[in-house]
Amino acid sequence: MFTRTVRPALNVARAAQQQSQGMATLREIEQRLKSVRNIEKITKSMKVVASTKLTRAERAMREAKKYGAANNELFKHTEIEKSEEAPKILYVGISSDGGLCGGIHSSISRAVKKAMAEQPGTLAVVGDKPKSQLSRAMPQAFKVTFNAVGKDVPTFAEASAIADEIVKNGGEWDEIKIISNKYLSAISYESGVTSVISAKALQAAAGFQAYEMEEDVSKDLAEFALANAIYTALVEGHAAEISARRTAMENASNNANDMMASLQLQYNRGRQAVITNELIDIITGASAL
Amino acid sequence: MSSTWREFMSWNKYTQVASRALRQALTETDRVAAEKRAAIGVRYQLWENGQGGEQKYVVPQAEPKSAGTPPV
Repeated sequence: MFTRTVRPALNVARAAQQQSQGMATLREIEQRLKSVRNIEKITKSMKVVASTKLTRAERAMREAKKYGAANNELFKHTEIEKSEEAPKILYVGISSDGGLCGGIHSSISRAVKKAMAEQPGTLAVVGDKPKSQLSRAMPQAFKVTFNAVGKDVPTFAEASAIADEIVKNGGEWDEIKIISNKYLSAISYESGVTSVISAKALQAAAGFQAYEMEEDVSKDLAEFALANAIYTALVEGHAAEISARRTAMENASNNANDMMASLQLQYNRGRQAVITNELIDIITGASAL
Repeated sequence: MSSTWREFMSWNKYTQVASRALRQALTETDRVAAEKRAAIGVRYQLWENGQGGEQKYVVPQAEPKSAGTPPV
């Protein structure tokens, strides 16, 4: 190293600065590489977990869809007459609390905002994420919100409890519109609206007038229909969310891999530049002798 | 004649109570399987004038008996 000491002071200083800059950048690149590698491991494992959960969620969804189909079948035969004034609508937005699942929650928020713009009404929300998005836009419309749903496959008991709370504290309504994500395939979903009829409208419907029954029966039926519809929406939304999370984590892993490749190249180039500079120093130093 | 439960609860609540009674009457293995299907961890929150109220569990959760996970 004595060759360094014979060089003019200025050159030494410049070379030292260049070299220290080079070393600092190298260390930075190394740290970035390490952190991106860790992130890739995490997102890959999250994707695997989501894939395994997806099979269970899909199976539950296929069972739950039968509840929803039974519901719809019954109400196909009850046509509601259009009343004169605008019906009071309660919107129920169904999503969940978890993040890292792509555009699931925003799709629900957007659908709710669009529906409220056309036909305003009151709002009940299941899930923390859409709740925070919508409470910034329309806090006055909220009646009741729910959370702590969606970590596991939703059960009918949970749907029944939610329906119970809505009936108790949801205010007055003529119609309920449930806004949830429909599972189209393992890689796509779309928000959709399901209508649930109210007890009053049921009683007035032509199909039911043909039978004699007590008042209470239509009220019970409306409440059961609500629990049914909420259950179907919850389970389908859960499956859609898991598939979206799987896709999002897969994209994140691919992006992380691309970043690692480009960072690795940058690191190699930087390392070679440092070595080349050292060689130049030594050789010019040696030639100066 | 209207049933007495109508004064106190909705139909959904009524079926929840009835199914809980049925679950508790099952034999051990069936009961455990049924309890898993009936776990309710939902919390709700009433809103008044754009302000959320206190969050309450629909079914109060039992406190975990252990002291919790160790610090590391």
